[in-house]
Amino acid sequence: MVKNDCRPDYHIEIIPPKQDSQKLEEDLSLFASKFERVMKSGFIASITDNAMGLLAFQGHECIEELGLHARPDQVLIHLNTFHTKQALHEILDSCERLGIRSILAISGDGSPRLPKLRPKDVEAENTASVTSVELTQYILKHYPSFTVGVAFNPYEPEEHEFEKLERKLDAGASFVITQPITGKNGAVDRLLSRYPCLPVVVEAWMSKKLYLLSDVVGYPIPEDAVFDPIETLRNLRALYPDCGQYLSLLGFKTQYETIESMARGDIL
Amino acid sequence: MKTVVCIKQVPSTTDAKIDPETKRIIREGTKAVMNPFDLYAVEEALRIRERLGGEAIAVSMGPESAKNSLIEALSMGADRAVLLCGRQFAGSDTWATSYALSKAIEKIGDVDLVICGKQAVDGDTAQVGPGIAAKLGMMQAANVSSVDEINDGEMTVKRMNETGFDVLKLKLPALITVIKDINEPRIPTLKNARKARSAAISVWSPDDIGADPDKIGLNASPTRVVKTEPPASRNAATLKIEGEPSDAAKKLVYELTARKLI
Repeated sequence: MVKNDCRPDYHIEIIPPKQDSQKLEEDLSLFASKFERVMKSGFIASITDNAMGLLAFQGHECIEELGLHARPDQVLIHLNTFHTKQALHEILDSCERLGIRSILAISGDGSPRLPKLRPKDVEAENTASVTSVELTQYILKHYPSFTVGVAFNPYEPEEHEFEKLERKLDAGASFVITQPITGKNGAVDRLLSRYPCLPVVVEAWMSKKLYLLSDVVGYPIPEDAVFDPIETLRNLRALYPDCGQYLSLLGFKTQYETIESMARGDIL
Repeated sequence: MKTVVCIKQVPSTTDAKIDPETKRIIREGTKAVMNPFDLYAVEEALRIRERLGGEAIAVSMGPESAKNSLIEALSMGADRAVLLCGRQFAGSDTWATSYALSKAIEKIGDVDLVICGKQAVDGDTAQVGPGIAAKLGMMQAANVSSVDEINDGEMTVKRMNETGFDVLKLKLPALITVIKDINEPRIPTLKNARKARSAAISVWSPDDIGADPDKIGLNASPTRVVKTEPPASRNAATLKIEGEPSDAAKKLVYELTARKLI
């Protein structure tokens, strides 16, 4: 996992095949090739959990079923609160078997098809619903060898977000991944100065479709907004040299080689 | 315990469109999903099998593409699947569909229990389940919210009514239609999903089930759809705010402020 005292890591987002895939074997083989490429590059494969509430297979089961080799410290499994208690344990047990020790605990996006953890499932008292705070606490209580990270949203009201982060850290979270930023960000700057020892990974949006971020940032971004993801990433690396970078929606065919070259220092 | 689950493939509610000429739902080119209530029926059949042993068989009627919903049922854990498919079935209303499905259930043979979702979200009639039971001469209970006991050829269920629920005892074989309160449908595992996609699905024609051609299809259907219209669209959006009350209140204030509502 990213440490402040070593080379910042690239977290490469990998989205597992959808449950309703009409070409599952093809999608699985694509997942495998992306995963293996990330392992070979020495980056971190960051595998989503039903992102946007769209039903997908779990990262751990894809790795297990496809017989992929998860290198220690190179896999981060996202885990949200939309599971049954049984499924939660199945995921964590499987991660343990596979040698995966890094979990990103997030509240997540639900859907009518997805169950939701109940407070009693995660031994949480005095709370109406389970958030990443209770999830983090529960994971670390029952799986103490795991490292749990949490999300930080620089677009939320700041006081509220820092208060929430404080509770996540109190629950045992030991690293943070931000929502996508496209340049210098005041909330991220304050995060870094308030927690100088906390490993922080900033999310870089790698799709040219910047308008897809409208919901995240809370204001409409025009569909024709011109956006250069590689240039933005380069800028973020310069602005936040001690942070890791989480690359969402990375184009493996079009952008991956450039990222490898940047990581090797061949190009800036 | 041999349980048959009847499932229907329906257009995804977010994609549903109606042909202005024929007043029918346009199924071509729209995303199709398993009728949401049928997921609960499949789950209940699986739970009963896990408790008592036996077999859970998914049956559907529809075009070749309806196999996708059967694959989903197999992915969840159904033992086998049957698709009633053929031009002669096309245009069947609830009466003709009940007849066709009842013939398929007869062909499967020795069925102890039939489970249906309480209704399909495209037609919303809630008639097919009771129709099958009537044609097979089975006891039935609609809107079942829990299956409490099955033994000695009887089952005890709770049936939701307007003021609470009734506790009913049904002699097997029986048919129940189920509501969402009954369980939480499982999410298929990758292992099961891969197995399901390579499983053989039996495809039965009207001849295979010994169906009387005069009782299936459009001409055998007494119902005529005179008019169908989509509901007027609503401009309202729902934002669900979760978390601790104090957090939720702060977020609510933020959201309202961002929308210039306060």
